[in-house]
Formats: sequence, structure tokens, C-alpha cells
Amino acid sequence: MTPRWRWWFLGALFLAVVIAGIYLPILRRNIRQAAKLQQRSEEQARRELTQPTVINPSDPRVKSKLFWASGADDGTVSAVTVELPLSSDPVLRSKQVLNTLLAGPVDIELRTLPPDAALLAFYLPPDGTAIADFSEALATSIPSGIESEQMAVDSITKTLEANVPQVRRLKILIHGQEVETLAGHLDLSQSFLVNANAAPRPRAAGTPGPALVPPALTPAAAAVKLTAPARKR
Amino acid sequence: MVLDPAHGGTDLGARGTGGIHESDIVLEFAAQVRTALESQGFQVVQTRQGNANPSFDDRSAMANAQRGAIFVTLHIASTGVPGTARVYTMNDLAPAADATGLIPWDRAQGPFVSLSRKLGDQVQALLAQRFKGSPATAQTASVRQLRTTAAPAIAVEISSVTVEDRAQLDHMAPGVADAIARGAAAFRPSYVVPVNPGERP
Repeated sequence: MTPRWRWWFLGALFLAVVIAGIYLPILRRNIRQAAKLQQRSEEQARRELTQPTVINPSDPRVKSKLFWASGADDGTVSAVTVELPLSSDPVLRSKQVLNTLLAGPVDIELRTLPPDAALLAFYLPPDGTAIADFSEALATSIPSGIESEQMAVDSITKTLEANVPQVRRLKILIHGQEVETLAGHLDLSQSFLVNANAAPRPRAAGTPGPALVPPALTPAAAAVKLTAPARKR
Repeated sequence: MVLDPAHGGTDLGARGTGGIHESDIVLEFAAQVRTALESQGFQVVQTRQGNANPSFDDRSAMANAQRGAIFVTLHIASTGVPGTARVYTMNDLAPAADATGLIPWDRAQGPFVSLSRKLGDQVQALLAQRFKGSPATAQTASVRQLRTTAAPAIAVEISSVTVEDRAQLDHMAPGVADAIARGAAAFRPSYVVPVNPGERP
């Protein structure tokens, strides 16, 4: 390399270093801003998805019973009476009481559900078996154990029993999926009894009846037999 | 006697702040429970020996394949008053409409619920004597592991992984082992063993 070319090369190298020195902080700032924007949109989406059911002030105020931990350290839940404006529509009413339950009691020590858990959806088919779809935090943030998981389910089922008489049974989903357990112990593959005396709701026009559900998909129909027939003794 | 140290493998179960994992502690408890049961004359099968994680169904299958098995699953909670122990039996299961007399797998515990409660009360009474603050009788809960088990079956849950010193839990192991072994021994005469494994009692 001739001395002239060497000078050209060193000059170009110097120029590249100067440009990089100016451009790199700008690039870093842009990346940081893009990450913030993405984070904000994810948070926005989550909030939109889990937006609490709007309380309609024109709804009559009702003395509702919400079940949180009793505080007796014995794994039981007890009712707290709260006056809430509640809709007469059972689906809306269920969402309202469950969102209030998730918001937690005044004494946070008596909370039965994780503070970051959210109700994503609630359905009530005419047969009275409600489906409550909770965010993943219900399973991931709850203290693991039979006692704590049973208390979480008790607080949900007893609150529905006390406030929404149309709910006969409750099936809990986590983020739209059926899961085997809540946090490793409590069985979520089956539905829970809420109110054995719930009257069936009138079917809306065009709503498919139970005959349209393929029998093979029900847990009872899919049951595996355990042994040969019992011998007579 | 089928003894089930819960969790294992990648499933650590309840986790304490001091690095205590439910899956490790129950394995150590199981060793002491096994010795106590053998001293009462029971043959003991464990659902896992090391850091494996068999499925719920595989664990149940170990009991369902035995004739006259008794099933005990061991857990450490992340809540509850430290130093207490609770016994759980399965909630009532709706009877399966089956004219053949066979037990559907997903409700295998159904016909054994009353026997499980009897066993649970025996063990809980002994635990209550040993560990103050524990309930006097067994409680019911929808424990997944119990549902598919076709045998008298209980879950024993100790509180808790939140203890500051792991030695507090280690000190409970002999008392828990003794209560389970003596409770099972007291229950044994009332258990009329079915002719076939998995048959209704």
C-alpha cells in the first residue's frame, strides 16, 4: 500500500468511527423507544382484555355476599356483605361479583385470589354450567398447596352461589385452556357444584342444544374402564 | 401401601423463600413414613424413589393395580400455620351410571370415598395430638391425585415451605410418619379388601 492510499484508508477509518460515534446513541435511543412502545401496546391489550365489567349506576344496589378467607387459619372462607350495583342479567352479574372478588377485601391478608389475576371471559349456557376463563396469573401466582387452591375455588363458587342463582355448576379455564390442576393440586378438569337447585335458563333462539355436543367429548363418555366386571361374592 | 411423594422432576411443587422445595422435602418424609409403615407390617411401594415426576394417572395406576392397596400422597403447603398438618380426602364424586359394575377411571375414587374418610380421620386425629393447631378431623378437597385412585386414599399436607429454617420441617417428619403408620394400622381391620384390584369395596 502506497503512503497516499494509507492516508486515504486511515481517513476513511476515522470518518467511520466518527459516524458510528454519532449514530450509535441515536440507534440505542430508537431501540429503547421501540421496546417501550411494544411494552405499552402489550399492556394496553391486556387491559382491554381484562377490563372490569362496567358498573351501571342505574342497576339496583344489592347487598352481595363475597367470600374471602375467614382469617381463622383453618382453610375456610367466610362471607363479607358488600353493597354493589348489580345487573339482573346473570352473566353481567357474575362478571361484576367476580371482578369485585378479584379486587380483594379491605384486609389484603384475607385475599384468596392473586392480585394480578383477571377474569377474561364468563359464559353461562342454558344448562347452568358456567365457564369462567381466568388469566394465567390465577394459576401461576397463587400459593401452591391443597389448602390455598381449595380456598381460591371455594371463594369463587360460594360467591357465585350467593349472588347468581342461575349458576348450577362452574368450569374454570386458564387463559382459554382446560388445565388438569390449578397449581399442582386442585383438580380443574371437572366442574364444581355451585347451586344444585339452579333452575335451567330459557334457551335463546338459535342456541344449539346439548344434543349437538358430541357425546364422545364429555369426560364421562371418554372414561376408561378400570377392571373386568366384579365377581359375585 | 402405596406412598406417593408428590411432584418431582421439573415440578418442584411449593417453593419457600429459603430455597426449600416441596418435591425434595416430601421425598425425605416418604423415607421415614416408609420405615414406620414397614414396622407396622405393611408392604410399601413408592410412586417415585428419586427426582422423577410420574403423571397423576401413573401414580394412581400403581395403587389401582394392587389388591387391597391404601394410598397416601405427601405434600408440603406454602400456606397454613407452620408446624401443623392436615389430611384431605376427595369430595363426593357423582356416581357413574354404569350397569356393568366397572369403575370409570376418572371417578375411580368414588366408591372408596367413605373408606378414605375413615382412614383420613384416623390419621388426622393422631396428627392433631402431635401437632397443636392441626384440625381434629380430615377435610375434603378436590385433589387431582385422589380422584383417579381406586383405593382408600388420603393426601397429607404439612405447613409449610415458608419456615425460615428447614430443620423445623425435618423435626416434623418422625411425628408425621408415626401418625400415618399408626392411623393406617388402626384402619386396616375395617378395610374389607375387594376380590379384584380396582373392584368396588
